[in-house]
Amino acid sequence: MESIIAVLVLIAIITSASSLWYGLTVASDVSSLTSSVADLAGSVADLTTSVAGLATSVADFKTTTAADLAQIADDLAEIADRVTKVEGALTPTLTVVGPWSGAEMDGFLPILDRFETLSGINVRYKVQRAEDLQTLLPAQFAAGTTPGDVIFMWGWWIGQEAQNGHVLEVTDLIDEADFLGGTFDQVTIDDKIYGGAYTGKVKPGFWYRKSFFEANSLTATTVNSTWAEFLALLNDIKAVPGIIDPIASGDAVGWPLSDITEHFLITFGGAQLQYDLISGAANWTSDPVRGIFEDRLVPLLQGNFSDPIEWTTAVDEWWQGDYGLYFMGSWITGMVDNATDLGIIPLPGAEALVLPADYFFIPTYSENQEAAKELFQFLISEEAQRLQVEQGGHLATNINVNLDFYPAADRMVREFIQDYAIAPDLDDTIGGEFQTTFWDQLKGLWVDPTPAVLDAVLTAIDAVAP
Amino acid sequence: MIRIARAIPEAKRNPWDRIRRGARTLRRFVRARKNIPLFLSPALVLMLFLVVYPILQTLYLSFLTPAGEFAGLSNYSEILARKDIIDVDGFPRLPPLGALVHNVIWIAIHLPLSMFSGLALAIILRDVKGSSLVKSIVFLGMVTPLIVGGVILRFIFTKGVGVVTAFFSAIGVEQLGRTWTGLPDTALFALIFGSVWLWTGFSMIVYSAGLATIPKEYYEAAKIDGAGPFKTFRRITFPLLKPLNIVVITMTVLYDLKIFDIVFVATFGGPRKASTVLAFEMWLQAFQFSRFNSAAVIATLLTLLTLVVTIPMIRYTVNR
Repeated sequence: MESIIAVLVLIAIITSASSLWYGLTVASDVSSLTSSVADLAGSVADLTTSVAGLATSVADFKTTTAADLAQIADDLAEIADRVTKVEGALTPTLTVVGPWSGAEMDGFLPILDRFETLSGINVRYKVQRAEDLQTLLPAQFAAGTTPGDVIFMWGWWIGQEAQNGHVLEVTDLIDEADFLGGTFDQVTIDDKIYGGAYTGKVKPGFWYRKSFFEANSLTATTVNSTWAEFLALLNDIKAVPGIIDPIASGDAVGWPLSDITEHFLITFGGAQLQYDLISGAANWTSDPVRGIFEDRLVPLLQGNFSDPIEWTTAVDEWWQGDYGLYFMGSWITGMVDNATDLGIIPLPGAEALVLPADYFFIPTYSENQEAAKELFQFLISEEAQRLQVEQGGHLATNINVNLDFYPAADRMVREFIQDYAIAPDLDDTIGGEFQTTFWDQLKGLWVDPTPAVLDAVLTAIDAVAP
Repeated sequence: MIRIARAIPEAKRNPWDRIRRGARTLRRFVRARKNIPLFLSPALVLMLFLVVYPILQTLYLSFLTPAGEFAGLSNYSEILARKDIIDVDGFPRLPPLGALVHNVIWIAIHLPLSMFSGLALAIILRDVKGSSLVKSIVFLGMVTPLIVGGVILRFIFTKGVGVVTAFFSAIGVEQLGRTWTGLPDTALFALIFGSVWLWTGFSMIVYSAGLATIPKEYYEAAKIDGAGPFKTFRRITFPLLKPLNIVVITMTVLYDLKIFDIVFVATFGGPRKASTVLAFEMWLQAFQFSRFNSAAVIATLLTLLTLVVTIPMIRYTVNR
């Protein structure tokens, strides 16, 4: 029993001891836990303080950074501005002087824009007609200055000024194989080329309205028709009610009449006669020339051509049916309401046509010659001329421009001239006093086509011819 | 004795007095005008460089060849021998007669027409209510730039477009129903008549101003004395407007001599040189043909002609 009691007491002691131990342990743990919780609370408090500090730092940082960034942005803008200015100073701005204004200028500016994009060179365009430049440029050149880096001007004038040393030679910039034959004749002096040929406009013959011909049962003659058939057509036109004259004679300073005359000379004397008259190998009073005037042109002037009419007025009157035919360059496609209604009647037997280009040059006094040369090369390139002919009213002198890029009316003209040789423009090639006299005398012949006046006209032209 | 002394001219009594008096006058003159050169110098310098020097340079150029060698009078003889300048074979006849003759014809027709039409308008409109409106319309031609005037002229005389040709066509004068500026016979006259329209406003305004200065009492007195309108004009209006005639004549002749713009725009001197004038020929030589020596010759001739007109006017003005 005692043993049992002893055991029980022992158990009790052990149990109590265990409980006490456990209790002490738990107490210790609780104490430790409390301490830990206190530590944790302290840590949380520290953390909160740190976070608050951090938040303050972040706030401070944000404020500071925004101000700094704004300052940096300002500095960068200023730097960019300065860089732009420096670049502007380093990148030349080319000045192009050309004759086109209004809608024609609108068609030309995209070509210059394209060049700016490709080259990074700025280009400014100024409108000035060749007639005005003729007065302005000699004085500028004499003073060693120029109003433009690339200037559009008459071919003969470029050739003339090249001989005076005012025009930069550009032979190396041009591959003549890329262009229509004879394109650069006017601007070539002693086998050196001084001017570029942009697009051109052909003078293909007499224009007529297809609808007008259809409405009046007229049949257009062709290059294969006979002279008699052509005269018969004029008589048929004359018989149309309301017709004033079969052919309208446009008049500016005299050039539409000179174009008609050249068409007669080339058709009945051949393209070689044109070259001979330009070079001086043929005389204006010689039998071949006189014969063309006496047998072909003058008889037609008697009763078939109108008096010279201001040329844009003539276009309107012809278009509204006062006249049956009108001789004009291919830019007429851009002057009428419906260019697809246009048809062409060349003189019977014509083998060559005049296709004058819009010539341009770089003056010796350009301060941006290298940049100007870049623009020069671009303007004669396939790309520039393609962009231009797409606008209508222009024909490329660069033969690499595909026909598909032409508007319908211009494509018709371009296709039409493929069967013809190209001859230089007579008065544009010679220029100077000859041109003025040629224009003036023809105006006199047009209104008084008598043998006496013809004699005087041919003599006066011959006196100033090469 | 005193009477005798008075009868003798003062200077004869004592020549030294005369000299002293003259010296005093000269001193006063110089003292009073010593600043004048200073005030005039800016204008004088400008005139020297912008007027005198170009004139002398032009004159010098007219005696040189294009190569810069002295040419004597050969440039002048060459220019005056040109049919573009003088072409009077078979005169009297219609143009072309050469630029110089055309200028003379221009003056001969334009001067009396514009002068008398301006005078007539000024007299007719003097006391008419609303006349200022009419005068303004007439004066429009004067303020229209000649380039614009030339373009208008061209259309006015164009067949089927202009009123002048339409009028003649309507009355059956077919020859004058054609485009005047396109025909050698009529081109010059189209420009002259057109310039009458453009210039009449000037003489009208000048005469209107002159008429306003004539006292009405003169006319009232003339009326009381029984003078008719023609006699009143002949005895009162015209004599009192005489100083203005000089102004109108001089200015009109100068205008006619320097005429260029309307020729350039309307006819370009043609057809067949039938409407060319000296100023246009000068432009052609200089800027179309690059013959600056020939242009200088024409400019010199033009200047001489201008002096012939202006010197009498200046003398008349000074004498008055």
